[in-house]
Amino acid sequence: MSEAEAVPLRYDEFLEAALSRIGGLLKGHYGISRRAVGLLLLQGDPQMEREVKKRDAASYSLLQEIVSQARAHYNQPLSYVIALRRQQEARRLVSAVVTLRGKRRPGFAEWLSRAMMHPVSGSLILLLVLYFGLYQFVGVFGAGVVVDFIEGTVFGEWVNPWVTELVRGFIPFQVLQDLFVGDYGVITLGLSYAFAIILPIVATFFLVFSIIEDSGYLPRLAMLIDRVFKAIGLSGRAVIPMVLGFGCDTMATIVTRTQETRRERIITTLLLALAIPCSAQLGVIFAILSGSGMALLIWAVTVALVLLLVGYLASKVIPGERASFYMEVPPLRLPKLTNILAKTYSRLQWYFVEVLPLFILASVLLWLGDLSGLFGLVIGGLEPLVKFIGLPPETAVVFLYGFFRRDFGAAGLYDLHSAGALMGVPLVVAAVTLTLFIPCIAQLLVMWKERGAKTALAIAAFIFPFAFLIGFVLNLILTRLGVSL
Amino acid sequence: MRLWPRIGRGFGRGGCHGGGVRLGDGRLRKVGVVGSPNVGKSVVFNNLTGAYVTVSNYPGTTVDISRGKAKIDGEEIEIVDTPGMYSLLPISEEERVARLILFQEKPEVVLHVVDAKNLERMLPLTLQLIEAGLPVMLDLNMMDEAEAAGIEIDVKRLERELGIPVVATVATTGRGMETLRRRLAEYVRSRSCAVAV
Repeated sequence: MSEAEAVPLRYDEFLEAALSRIGGLLKGHYGISRRAVGLLLLQGDPQMEREVKKRDAASYSLLQEIVSQARAHYNQPLSYVIALRRQQEARRLVSAVVTLRGKRRPGFAEWLSRAMMHPVSGSLILLLVLYFGLYQFVGVFGAGVVVDFIEGTVFGEWVNPWVTELVRGFIPFQVLQDLFVGDYGVITLGLSYAFAIILPIVATFFLVFSIIEDSGYLPRLAMLIDRVFKAIGLSGRAVIPMVLGFGCDTMATIVTRTQETRRERIITTLLLALAIPCSAQLGVIFAILSGSGMALLIWAVTVALVLLLVGYLASKVIPGERASFYMEVPPLRLPKLTNILAKTYSRLQWYFVEVLPLFILASVLLWLGDLSGLFGLVIGGLEPLVKFIGLPPETAVVFLYGFFRRDFGAAGLYDLHSAGALMGVPLVVAAVTLTLFIPCIAQLLVMWKERGAKTALAIAAFIFPFAFLIGFVLNLILTRLGVSL
Repeated sequence: MRLWPRIGRGFGRGGCHGGGVRLGDGRLRKVGVVGSPNVGKSVVFNNLTGAYVTVSNYPGTTVDISRGKAKIDGEEIEIVDTPGMYSLLPISEEERVARLILFQEKPEVVLHVVDAKNLERMLPLTLQLIEAGLPVMLDLNMMDEAEAAGIEIDVKRLERELGIPVVATVATTGRGMETLRRRLAEYVRSRSCAVAV
């Protein structure tokens, strides 16, 4: 297999002459052929111009002259002329080495691929994926079974009592003890929250998501949803963070980096914070509302309407260019288990490095809030608001906790519900309002980090009154209509 | 099949003054993996280095440059995964970074990974790499998808036309990766001899 020396492509005579004149003048060392340096100069590459100015200062003006002569010789820009010649050669090569046998008859994969993008069958498949992948596996299994075990048994019965004992033995002051093992302790809240609740949920979610991703379903989903999203001013690219948001909005907010324009990133960040419930919320909300199909339906429709409405309005209000969306749809593939596992693992690792410090910071802030009495003040302030949307005053605490700890907030609702203090319409109103809240303080911090303080605060300032407003309107509508659940 | 590379290596060593594992300045021989986004570059990289990072259909994952070490025929070689690039004339920051790696780090071999079913769109970059005098090797990846689309490629002919080594792979399943490694090792050795002499 003796390799013949690769022969560079030849351009037309005029360009070749220019290239050989340039080549003759270049004396510096560039790490690449003089021919390539010449071609980059002709195409007006600014970086190469700087390099040449540095390394061949003496002949730079002469080189410039050759380049401008060449430019004057052609009607089109030189980069176009050169690219055209390369494209022509590529076409020649392809016709020499490629034989088209005619497509294989469309198989099952092709059929499935079309079904996934079709508005009707595609929506059905999406529902199946959401039900089995998200609800059953992440919601019921991950957020239910696994969280119960790790939070209840591992942390609740083994780790927390042991650590509490240890800290109380070594640290003399109650206040300092609380920093580590109190209600908002770094260990009993920050770390146990991260490992007992977030870990199982995101692990199961990442597993499902890796399968979905490696199978090639996402580009098809993007195609399916693109139309709806375009109407609200987003491109299908926003599907990815939005879908991720059902796992964890905090992480999805970080993923908005993949979006092209700043405008898109802001809109997606807003919608994530407002109308995409994360898996922890989804799990508990499903559990609370599952008693009445009607209640679940009202909740889902309200949140979906808010998502579409706010998305639509935001795209009108926030200035900037609309992103164009083009996506090549790759073939469906059968995912490989080793790839899925490795990918899930590396995602988890990345996620934890990014988010764990934020959880710890959040529990320190909560500890300070509790210590300074700020907590009691905020709860007192929330009570009238809660009454305003037709809820019993006890729910004020739930909303405050809901801001810091979504599971805590939702679990608080669950408590009130099972105690018989919250039923029917108020329960649905509380669930909707809580869903619209910024899911947790970690998300606010990530928004701050990713979008800047101004945007993060503006989004927060919009969301809290808005969530209560929607709660108020929903309560009004439901009671006026005399809906009983 | 197994014997030939060994003999080839024997000759390579002889012609290269003993041909130690490392180059004169003590750095490892280097392979730069280049190509446009979504051609399986990262999968090829991970297959060579044995450390799986992440493979995705959406952009943003290969922004960071991954470096790894591959053991090919008992020799340790540094593999650099460059950000996606469409042309040597950069438009994006990522392309600028990729070009910088090629021009400044001077890898012994530049492995250009392409999507076999979109050859016509891919070859202009191969031509540019050849033009720049870089030691290019072409990897026609995603061969299974090309075959499924009814595209048949005469690899030997393409090799002759371009004057560079060309291999066909399906990096996700590992098909053709053994050949890729072998030819990569041969090419790396022949290149570093050329540099030494």
